[in-house]
Amino acid sequence: MNRYLYDGTADGLMSAIAWILEEEPDPLQVALAEREDTLFEDGFFIVTDATQAESLFFRLRKQAPDAAHTIYSFMLAEKEGMETSLLHYMTLAFKYGDKVNGYLTHSAVLDIVSVAKKAGRELHRMKGLLRFEKLRDGAYLAKMEPDHNIIHPLAYHFRTRLKAQHWFLYDVKRRTAAHWSNGTLQFGTIEQFTTPALSDDEKQVQAMWQTFFKTISIADRKNARLQKSNMPMKYWKYLTEKQGE
Amino acid sequence: MDTLAKLQILSGAARYDASCASSGSKREAPSSGTGNTSQSGICHSWSDDGRCISLLKILLSNDCRYDCAYCVNRSTNAVERASFTAREVVDLTLDFYRRNYIEGLFLSSAVMQSPDVTMERMVRVVETLRTEEHFGGYIHLKIIPGCSSDLVRKAGLYADRISVNIELPSQVSLHRLAPQKHKDSILEPMALIGREITSSLVERKADRRAPRFAPAGQSTQMIIGASPENDFQILRLSQGLYKKMNLKRVYYSAYVPVSADNRLPVLAAPPLLREHRLYQADWLLRFYGFSAEEILSDDLPNLDETFDPKTAWALRHPEFFPVEINHADYLTLLRVPGIGVTSAKRIIAARRFSAITPEGMKKIGVVMKRAKYFITSAGRGFERADRTPALIRQQLLLGDGIGAPPPRQLVFPGLYA
Repeated sequence: MNRYLYDGTADGLMSAIAWILEEEPDPLQVALAEREDTLFEDGFFIVTDATQAESLFFRLRKQAPDAAHTIYSFMLAEKEGMETSLLHYMTLAFKYGDKVNGYLTHSAVLDIVSVAKKAGRELHRMKGLLRFEKLRDGAYLAKMEPDHNIIHPLAYHFRTRLKAQHWFLYDVKRRTAAHWSNGTLQFGTIEQFTTPALSDDEKQVQAMWQTFFKTISIADRKNARLQKSNMPMKYWKYLTEKQGE
Repeated sequence: MDTLAKLQILSGAARYDASCASSGSKREAPSSGTGNTSQSGICHSWSDDGRCISLLKILLSNDCRYDCAYCVNRSTNAVERASFTAREVVDLTLDFYRRNYIEGLFLSSAVMQSPDVTMERMVRVVETLRTEEHFGGYIHLKIIPGCSSDLVRKAGLYADRISVNIELPSQVSLHRLAPQKHKDSILEPMALIGREITSSLVERKADRRAPRFAPAGQSTQMIIGASPENDFQILRLSQGLYKKMNLKRVYYSAYVPVSADNRLPVLAAPPLLREHRLYQADWLLRFYGFSAEEILSDDLPNLDETFDPKTAWALRHPEFFPVEINHADYLTLLRVPGIGVTSAKRIIAARRFSAITPEGMKKIGVVMKRAKYFITSAGRGFERADRTPALIRQQLLLGDGIGAPPPRQLVFPGLYA
């Protein structure tokens, strides 16, 4: 089995896959991994070529749009050590088109699809669990710490939903932010975050939501386990209704 | 009374309405306004009872002139009364929506002076939201039985989903427990809504700008365990509602004792397991190609508490099994315990590539713990073939080794419409 290495970047990964698909007679028999620069590392290094990477993804989007979407979600997961699975998945995607996602009995397909599904699930979850707070200047700020790097697709969701509103998303763990104002969406990183002052009525609205959250539950049906399985505790930190519990 | 105090009373009074779906409607945000809807629906939180919170679920008023025995808001019950102004509801909805607490509004109400007066005030709230505030989020509006058909039509133009609660599964029970409500005043608006939805769909095919009427369809709810009907009667009623009235959803709400009225049964706790089994059977009606008469019969009028309705059916029909997973069609696969809609579709997609082995079944996500007694792969059984239903029954309960029976799982299935 031939073994190839790339530089660890997303572009490097895609261009390595492009090269292997081009040059290798049977890509399903080949392994791909990130270069670690150890003394006895075994494998052939493929140089990163951003144009190659882009053209590969472009071709895939044309031939198998669902598979391209799966890979987009997979990349949000920032999973390490799955390069070989990704290579095999893409090989199969070019062979079978969008039907590839049905080939769940193939272990590479199962690996990629299940990671992608997890990222997609968290994205959907955060669309509901994200909480904005109104700031003194009238803008809204939402903080989060998701497992997957979902700030981009999440911002696209709120761009259409809250388009008349001025808002920020802030990923505390990755220090990345999204900013929407007057029809423009921008992404960036924040090195030092200072919590801005809240608007005067913000605490009042939060108190109303907390009240609603308590009274809407039926005491005779209390089911903490079900609540936690639908809404894992790792998300509670930024939930308005779970503050001060 | 301030808004916070009203919110406490009027959300507490609305919590027995089970529906919280926000799916089935896709609307772009108005250019100058706030909010859109998502086809799949979005849950925003889960309350301490584990039920999803997707909509701001409130009553406009709990000041009821009716006296329904099962209801916490009945006129003879000594609870504090309150009513929102239209402005209060509009502001609450927008304040919550802008902070992403909710997907939209669920507005119901007790019957104030008359059904028409009540319905008119409810419609005015959603009219303000849609036309003055350009709110594009989800709205679920309850129809008050007995209101004029003009108001029903208006409600359907502003709301995504409208619903009329059927409350109890039979006319007799309705008469006994809710003497001011009549079967006809419930079924008439349901039929009207069904007709309006159909004709709006036809018009929109001809002209894409034709107005939409309740694009997320209509639903209803009935209370389980407050009256003596058996599960067979309930399922046949639901089946009729789905087939004849074209309903999107029937919700079942386990009766929570809120009254010591002697017309009601005395329950130690709400019948949650029965509610759960009814939801499972409801899913069989809607997505699995079962009929109510297959699930239950006059000789077997109630759902099994130990087994889910599909497993119970499979144990009564050994002649149907084993099913060969590499050849069986979709509807046959769906009848196998442990194979759901998702895994049946995955099996069909995966066997285009190669024959499916027991190992492959696990990868696909089939619950082999249950399915293995009922399937073969390339002619080979997963379990000894000579098992009798009685033996399978025992195995399913005890598992393969020595161990406790499987835990009774109580999942509230109303998450997605």
